[in-house]
Amino acid sequence: MTAATEGRPSPGTGPAAGPLASARGLTKRYGVRHALAGIDLDVGPGVTGLLGRNGAGKTTLLRCLATDLDPGGGRLTVLGESPETSAGRTRIRRGIGHLPQNPVLYPHFTAFSLVDYIAVLKELGGRRARHDEVRRVLDAVGLYDRRHSRVRRLSGGMRQRLALACALLGEPRLLLLDEPTIGLDPEQRIRFRDLVSEFTRDRGAVLSTHQIEDVGALCSRVLVLDAGRLVFDGSPDELTGHARGRVWSAARRPRDAATAWRGPDGRYRVLTPEAADPPADAGEAHPVEPTLEDGYLLFTAERG
Amino acid sequence: MTWHLTPRQLHDYARGRADEVAAMSAEAHIMSCSHCRSALPADESWLQASWADLRDIVDRPRRGPLERLLSAVGVAEDKARLLAATPRLYRAWLIATVTVLACALFAAHTVHGGALLFLYLAPVLPLAGVALAYGRRVDPAHAFTSTTPMGGQRLLFLRSLAVLVPAVALCAGAALLLPSFGPAWAPAAWLLPSLTLVAASLAFTRWMPLGVSSALLAGTWLIALGAAEAVRAWNTIHLFGPTAQLCWAVALAALLAAHPLARAGRA
Repeated sequence: MTAATEGRPSPGTGPAAGPLASARGLTKRYGVRHALAGIDLDVGPGVTGLLGRNGAGKTTLLRCLATDLDPGGGRLTVLGESPETSAGRTRIRRGIGHLPQNPVLYPHFTAFSLVDYIAVLKELGGRRARHDEVRRVLDAVGLYDRRHSRVRRLSGGMRQRLALACALLGEPRLLLLDEPTIGLDPEQRIRFRDLVSEFTRDRGAVLSTHQIEDVGALCSRVLVLDAGRLVFDGSPDELTGHARGRVWSAARRPRDAATAWRGPDGRYRVLTPEAADPPADAGEAHPVEPTLEDGYLLFTAERG
Repeated sequence: MTWHLTPRQLHDYARGRADEVAAMSAEAHIMSCSHCRSALPADESWLQASWADLRDIVDRPRRGPLERLLSAVGVAEDKARLLAATPRLYRAWLIATVTVLACALFAAHTVHGGALLFLYLAPVLPLAGVALAYGRRVDPAHAFTSTTPMGGQRLLFLRSLAVLVPAVALCAGAALLLPSFGPAWAPAAWLLPSLTLVAASLAFTRWMPLGVSSALLAGTWLIALGAAEAVRAWNTIHLFGPTAQLCWAVALAALLAAHPLARAGRA
């Protein structure tokens, strides 16, 4: 606990009391479309990866967990609290850090004053302790040297890191990260992974992303959403195992492949709907080790 | 250097107990004498605290005039930060408010019965400011702020105050420049309707976004007054009369009592 978080009301119950977040039959509708169609899940410590196509419901689920959206139905608890009441939402917000998708920040603020502003909104006090916390998170994301720069003068990657610094304020027990590595260069992404990995030693994070490498590098558990339904809940190895025996390196693109693409060596990486002999019309083909991406692509391909 | 400070002189200087002349003399000597400088007892905790103070002074965000003014009148440092850091649309609204008030004043001085126009418009101006104070459509960082503990009703209330206070001050200032009409309190007749409309727009956020509730109330207010004026079926000045003022006050009290923050406070 930092000095800035001392004296704040403790959000929810302790880690031993249950999952960090729990949903039962969670639904959310936008008009006639079901963004979430009955989600059951428990989020524990460590990083939980959230994969799915655009529009699968990942952002909606994260926004429900972050108390930004009211679920239409079902039961939801975050840090042991229900977001149905205003008091419950406030208690949840004291214990979470939320990095929204494509975060927009006030361009005329300096990096320091922006994070300080969010720190005030997060009820971190008093001034000295709050400023120490602002310095800590700016240092953690490698932006302390740019603390006096205006937000509009920062690159896209720096703004993304600044947004991450805001999410890390107050040492939240649950981090909710929506596409956090967009705009980060490879070095920054490694630094991000290290930061999140260190952070989640004794806490939890839900990471929604299209960057499957990040999921492979960070997550102990993967959830795959499709059309608002949870279609996979397991470890990255289990998702990879879904493609075992179904990934081939072939000379030609077969007609009945679940999906196939041409590599830089001119050969096709072919994912077949069934684990079987080499695809018939693929020419010379040999099996290759599946990756997490293969497992995920097969899962989504099987659902149209 | 042929002489050095005594241990007692060094101790008094380091502890800040030396009188002004002795301290200046010791300081001048220490600047040029490495022996005495090294003998000066270092207070590590004081040094660390001083560095931390210095770093905080360097890092501290520069406070604007509004933030300094709020602090000067006793607003807590963190609340002053929140009140001063409203979205940029606030400026556009401020300019629009001054323009509308200037036009209303011009009409009041040049057109017969023009003071009524001021009474019609004044309640709508704070409503427009409040509509621009909070929400996904007007605050670029709303996705961030809405999931903080201060997000929601508390931030909405603070930001509403941040626009309500200057709005009421501007309208009150303009009202003082109105030509004489009606009883002595007539120039202030807009105040209770204005506050009631703002309170109602905040109360309606339970069911709809703030922008929608404000637009709905402002639109209803202006259309109703315009229609009443057009058909001349009812004298709209009654809306600002003594009986109406009592009704506005009762409605305002009821809306404030029903506000989520008031209910939370009672709970």
